[in-house]
Amino acid sequence: MAEAALPGSNSSAAAGARKAVQDLNAPLWRNVLFVSPYLFFFVTLLVVPLFWGIWLSLHKADAFGTGRFVGLDNYFRLFRDKIFLQVVGNTFYFVLLTVPALAVIGLLLALALNRNTRTAAALRAVYFASSVLSVTIVTLIWRTVFIGNFGLLATVYGWFGATAPAFLSDPTLAMIGIAIATVWWCIGLPMMLFLSALQQVPREIYEAASLDNASRWRTLWHITLPSIRRTFVLVIIIEIVLQFQLFGQAWLMTKGGPNNASKPIVLYIYEATFIKWDLGLGAAASEILFILIMIAALAQYFISRRKGEEG
Amino acid sequence: MTLTLRKYMLAAASVLAFAATTPALAATELTVQRFFGACDAEFGTNTDASKAVGECGIITSLINKFNADNPDVHVSVTTVEWPGYDQLTAQFAAGDPPDVVTVHHSVLGDYQSRGLLMPLDDLLNSVGISPSDFTDASLSGVTKDGQIYGLPIDNWTMLFHINMDLFKKAELVNADGTPKLPTSVNELMAQAKQFKEKTGKPYFVQNLANEVALYTRNLYTYLFQQDSDFFADPKQVKLNTPEAKKVLEMYKAIYDNDYTTKDMDYAASINAFLAGEGGVHLNGTWVIGDYNASSETAGTALNAGGYAVYPYPQLFPGKKAQYADGHSWAVSQKDRTPEEAAAIGKFLKFFNDNDFEWSRTGHLPAVKAVLESENFKALPHRDTIAAVATLGTPLPSTVQRQFAIQDIIGQEMNAAITGQKQIDAALADMESRINELLANI
Repeated sequence: MAEAALPGSNSSAAAGARKAVQDLNAPLWRNVLFVSPYLFFFVTLLVVPLFWGIWLSLHKADAFGTGRFVGLDNYFRLFRDKIFLQVVGNTFYFVLLTVPALAVIGLLLALALNRNTRTAAALRAVYFASSVLSVTIVTLIWRTVFIGNFGLLATVYGWFGATAPAFLSDPTLAMIGIAIATVWWCIGLPMMLFLSALQQVPREIYEAASLDNASRWRTLWHITLPSIRRTFVLVIIIEIVLQFQLFGQAWLMTKGGPNNASKPIVLYIYEATFIKWDLGLGAAASEILFILIMIAALAQYFISRRKGEEG
Repeated sequence: MTLTLRKYMLAAASVLAFAATTPALAATELTVQRFFGACDAEFGTNTDASKAVGECGIITSLINKFNADNPDVHVSVTTVEWPGYDQLTAQFAAGDPPDVVTVHHSVLGDYQSRGLLMPLDDLLNSVGISPSDFTDASLSGVTKDGQIYGLPIDNWTMLFHINMDLFKKAELVNADGTPKLPTSVNELMAQAKQFKEKTGKPYFVQNLANEVALYTRNLYTYLFQQDSDFFADPKQVKLNTPEAKKVLEMYKAIYDNDYTTKDMDYAASINAFLAGEGGVHLNGTWVIGDYNASSETAGTALNAGGYAVYPYPQLFPGKKAQYADGHSWAVSQKDRTPEEAAAIGKFLKFFNDNDFEWSRTGHLPAVKAVLESENFKALPHRDTIAAVATLGTPLPSTVQRQFAIQDIIGQEMNAAITGQKQIDAALADMESRINELLANI
């Protein structure tokens, strides 16, 4: 405003001031300075690697240099590779195992712990506690539970003379074992999101319902659940995006085995790049994963935008 | 007054600067990266390697001793999870590799072919180490394109580690007290059956879960014993063969008849063997020291009837052989000052001079003089495993990505042996996946 008025005389000062008021919403390019630190890291750490990744996926490359341009050959190789198709299937299966479980268990915990008692507060902390652990600790704990002969599960089954299910080495159970560890680890976030949503439901509605003698089930079904519908969708989408990126649990619990039965896409990318030194193939697989996650992220964007319009 | 104060401040600053730079001038920093595990709680301050047991204890103590004996060099150690090559590859890609790193002989070629390792001929020569000092197996393991790319510290192979108490109960002991080992596949099956009937326990303790290396080494050994030249062309493997099928059928029969432990990972299998859960543990030379120590401790399962260790039995009528590999210290390729190069030379010379201490792990020494020494021959069980010096056979050194190949073979063998896949399908997939990998190097 002051700068806009500077060049003019007294008579033009008023016009200048008016002009400045009119231009209040006009872009001031020096404000770019405020966002430039963020933009710098966003571009160097996200945008450049994104396009570099696409560029690499079109090359025959290893970790020590970009080789020759091969066009879409790496993508053709991926879709001819039975293991890659298997890991895409595995990843979807894992998302299917974990996301509904996280949403439903998170909701049930939130409903149970949404009260102002000390016990509820303590239990909220307990259920959230697993989320602060690192993946290494989580998998160490669950390996101790699952490992054959010496594990907790094997010991408990042993008391009854039974054989424990082999969650780490049975191809039909390996992914389920990883899913159990993941749900235990990740349950804190959905529970907290549901709790915050539940606390935003106006008290008056519940008071009105109780005046009308509505049963607890009717209150839950007709008031609580419709009120937190959007949070439910949000939790589902956040968890889909997160669980698509499964890596640490599978790597540390089963190494993707037995025979690739619990190998997710990120582990395939890791193996292609760092074990086979086939960086081009790893980059191509990353782009496929990027597209899958982008679809989920776009869904989140459209749903949250619709919420804004309605609100 | 102000002038005096300024003088004092300048003097103090000079002293501080001198103190800060002096250690850097005095000690050349050397970054060393190794596997073999972490055991600082037990051996973190021990400098007497002769008092240490096992790979981790001995290597930790040796490096402690090197640091204590050489105040002009400071070795800082990064311990990586075995085998650590994913991390090493990333470090090379980022231009930040360690100076000295443990590398298997079978893997040296991957890094050497990309110009990432320093040829060591001149450096070894400068500290008085001659290639003729090494055993033939070690020298050929570290020689690529006519040059030496690692200081060999050992050769290793897989062995039959035997719980003699259970073997006695199973009546699988010869008149001279040695264990009865099979000479054919049929005999192996008969002995495993007898073992199970007499002891109620499985003949083998194997780590079949989360595992690829054991399967692969077993396959290589029994293919060598059938004279199968599966890597005649280092760029194209032939594994969909009757010989490979025989090996997989044998291991599947062992699995189906419960002659082996199941669902165990590596750590669990070691615990199981030490707890007397089975007769024969298929594991490498590196556990001899630990198992021998256990057998000398009263009250342990191995103390009850003794511990014995033998090379894999010859089950097929071909060449007498079993798969072997070795460990070496490799040096990353980068510009170094003469002091830094000298420090590396000193470190390598130290390990070469202490090869006997390292051979107490159970590995075969890389230094010929140590292998032939009375001290080495006097170590426990070396008489029964001496044959591995001649039996040990590596893959051709021109075969690249041997650890990636190991992953593929292990995955497919696991699927075939545990019945998730037909043996023919597993062998066909194994072969095509490896050839796809090798075609894209």
